[in-house]
Amino acid sequence: MKKQKTTTSSMAKRTWQKFLKNKLAMLGLIVFVVFVLASLGAPILTSFDPNKINLANISRSPSWTHILGTDRLGRDVFSRILYGGRISIFIGVVSALSGTIIGVVFGSVAGYFGGKIDTLLVRISEIFLTFPQMILILVMVSFLGPGISNLIIIFSVTGWMTTFRMVRNEFLSLKEETYVEVSRAFGISDTSIMFKQILPNTMSPIVVAMTINIANFILQEAGLSFIGLGVPSTLPTWGNIINAAKSVEVIRNFWWLWLSPGLVISVFVLAVNFLGDGLRDVLDPKQ
Amino acid sequence: MAKFLVKKILAMIPMLLAISAMVFFALELTPTDPINYLISPDMASSAGNIEALRESLGLNDPAIIRYFRWLFNLIRGDFGYSIISGTSIREIIMLRLPATLELALVSLVLSTIIGIGIGLLSAINQNGWIDYVGRVMGVVGISIPQFFFGIVVIQIFAIQFGWLPFGSRMAPGQTAFFDRLHFMVLPAFTMAIAMTAALLRYTRNSMLDVLNKDYIKLARSKGIPEWKVYLKHAFRTALRPVLVILIFRLPILIGGSIVIESVFSWPGIGSVILSSISAGDYPVIMVTTLLVAAAILISSIFVDIATALLDPRVRFE
Amino acid sequence: MQNELILKVENLHTSFTVGPLNIPIVKGVSFEVYKGKTLAIVGESGCGKSVTVHSIVQLLPRNGRIDQGTVTYIEDNEEVRLDQLQRYGKKMRKIRGENIGMVFQDPMTSLNPVYRVGDQVAESLMQHFKMKKKDAMKEVISMLKKLGIPDPESRINDYPHQFSGGMKQRVVIATAMICNPDIIIADEPTTALDVTIQAQIMELMKELQVKYNKSLILITHNMGLVAEMADQVAVMYMGRIVEYGSLTDIFEHPSHPYTKALLRSVPVLGKQEGELLETIPGSTPNPLDCTVGCEFADRCEFAQEKCRIKDVPYRQLTPTHQVRCTLFEEHPEVVK
Repeated sequence: MKKQKTTTSSMAKRTWQKFLKNKLAMLGLIVFVVFVLASLGAPILTSFDPNKINLANISRSPSWTHILGTDRLGRDVFSRILYGGRISIFIGVVSALSGTIIGVVFGSVAGYFGGKIDTLLVRISEIFLTFPQMILILVMVSFLGPGISNLIIIFSVTGWMTTFRMVRNEFLSLKEETYVEVSRAFGISDTSIMFKQILPNTMSPIVVAMTINIANFILQEAGLSFIGLGVPSTLPTWGNIINAAKSVEVIRNFWWLWLSPGLVISVFVLAVNFLGDGLRDVLDPKQ
Repeated sequence: MAKFLVKKILAMIPMLLAISAMVFFALELTPTDPINYLISPDMASSAGNIEALRESLGLNDPAIIRYFRWLFNLIRGDFGYSIISGTSIREIIMLRLPATLELALVSLVLSTIIGIGIGLLSAINQNGWIDYVGRVMGVVGISIPQFFFGIVVIQIFAIQFGWLPFGSRMAPGQTAFFDRLHFMVLPAFTMAIAMTAALLRYTRNSMLDVLNKDYIKLARSKGIPEWKVYLKHAFRTALRPVLVILIFRLPILIGGSIVIESVFSWPGIGSVILSSISAGDYPVIMVTTLLVAAAILISSIFVDIATALLDPRVRFE
Repeated sequence: MQNELILKVENLHTSFTVGPLNIPIVKGVSFEVYKGKTLAIVGESGCGKSVTVHSIVQLLPRNGRIDQGTVTYIEDNEEVRLDQLQRYGKKMRKIRGENIGMVFQDPMTSLNPVYRVGDQVAESLMQHFKMKKKDAMKEVISMLKKLGIPDPESRINDYPHQFSGGMKQRVVIATAMICNPDIIIADEPTTALDVTIQAQIMELMKELQVKYNKSLILITHNMGLVAEMADQVAVMYMGRIVEYGSLTDIFEHPSHPYTKALLRSVPVLGKQEGELLETIPGSTPNPLDCTVGCEFADRCEFAQEKCRIKDVPYRQLTPTHQVRCTLFEEHPEVVK
């Protein structure tokens, strides 16, 4: 038992070393961490209240006091981006996490037990897959109304299928393996076999898919908030900040209102995608 | 092949039924009185007794019967009425759908050609500079929010240079396709960007996968030229997973059109859905949703046919 | 009968680039192939036998490259240096298609799943002899018939997944034979097949080789197969040929400890019950760990200090028999 532990830890060490060598993935990780820390440490980095309306100070271009300028209600854009990051990143990470959990549970059940329950779950996932996700989201928003928790629920409900298919396929192939049959012969319970024996073997693709989902959900939150159906506009999120740039007049005259939030979203999502690609390269046993 | 097609079409029917049932019962949950969307407002106002009308329309029947009646009407082309404007939903769709289809098709063609083309070159020149450019394009393309890309191209090409219009579908009087082509350039490219990037990444990975296969080595051992190895032997097998991704991406493409239509004030279905949501016009939302889902299912059949043509194993499965 | 030389490999070195490392896989391999004869290259998996033949036809993966040595193909007294040709150039492709046919290990993955079997066999005919499809198909049908595929007229229109493993390998052999090449390289042609099918395929290859006077390079790890098929044998270990000689040299007078060990590990019919089949102790080392001396030293019961400290030269035991081992220092060194 002890021996196994040392081998896994040396595996992890080797993987980590491989990861350190992957420059783009490291860059992605650093950017990710910096953005998360910056939005958590927003009160330290800026003294402006992101929601304080200052009508005496509207649509100012960037200056030393307001390094990214102010919006059309006189709010400090830099501060809004920092505080907005909290909500946007939170939505992305939590939705990806819960979507992954749904996918893993359904996928393990479908792949392990097979039969009718498998067919049913596969059918459901196909309906979700063919259904235009964006429209599903819109319909659900129109029922549930906008809001952070509603958005997270919607994202998790619409974003579990990739993980589901992956986990199911892994289970289908792994359950034939000798060690699973041996465990079953020893009378180990199904849940224990599923979650203790098989699942660890599918961890790497799950982690990669989750990373990519974080990126996608952040993009979707931004898109929904941009068209006014995401998070209520009273809360700062990256999408809500850029929502202000919907008129041609803003695009033409107030570049700082859309350029900085747009770049922030792009750079952050790019970093997460680099991280995901890097993880895939590092964790993929074929490499 | 015929058997394969019939099987695919039969498999589609329960999907359509499931989606339509979902839509119908979701509509039932909304605080909308069916009388308002099932008959034209003129008829409703001219009818003296709403309750009698309700009874004669069968609105007091059990939900399941009403569902099948509603479905049957849909199939006949009777989509009901908007509860806000009172116009027939069918008319709204007829008016707006061509704009969305036009945009979606053009960007689909654009992204298929560019995405698969660059993906292919990228895989052939693995680790060369084309591959490097392709990989960067791929990851950047899936990372930039579409609306932000849209704003940037509007700023550059419409505002700074004034080369292209920054919105809408046509100038008054310009209805011929080629007259209004320049209106489509920016929205179509913006819409294509994410799809292009996704296809590029999948084509590259799939090609690299296939190029390691033994039958590629055997093809080379026959002494055929490299371009034939790539195009005839590798590309055709590599295309199958790419087409599968294409099916999964279609809904995202259509969904993206809502955002794009909003950025470029494109008068399509997306903007109808958007305004219906803010107005609470549930019947319009539901029916358009159902139609889009049906359209995606039907186009996925075309993709299935394409895969079957490309790969004999699919036909025999 | 005079032995007519058709392929000559001298001091071949091939390496693979993996990340920052350059790993030598084939280290100074030399051998000759004669017309109508079979050379067997034997060794454990990973010893570099496949890489050697892939080097000959320049079908190495992208990160592999020939560092040193010559590969000479002799056609009508004219010498062609294969190692100097462009990898995918016209001349190299012509030789690959017309003069050297290849059969790979796994017939399940050797055929392209999306094309009809007949078209795949006909492809090189149409490429190299500019044949019309109809004529090429006639050739294909007669070739498939020769190879014992029943009902070839209709089978050519089937797809690979409709064939069994043994039948697929026959198709692959047909692909290799269709342009009537002088040399056929068979890279473990039966490893992936059922035992009964293995025998059929090997018999077929032997028959073709004798009947049409082809030269065969057979790569295998199966000593029994070598005994049945080969005229010449090269025993490879860790990128080197450790012993090279005629079939009788190798089987009657095995000299290198590795060859002896290999022979002892072959199951022989009539072995006493309870008598254990021998295995070779230890496992194949990492190619990066082997820098000087004999690669087999760590697993060899006769290993001495001198095996590990300096390069071991080849010794000529008889005019046909060479071995690379310090046990034979009284024999003359092979001069290259």
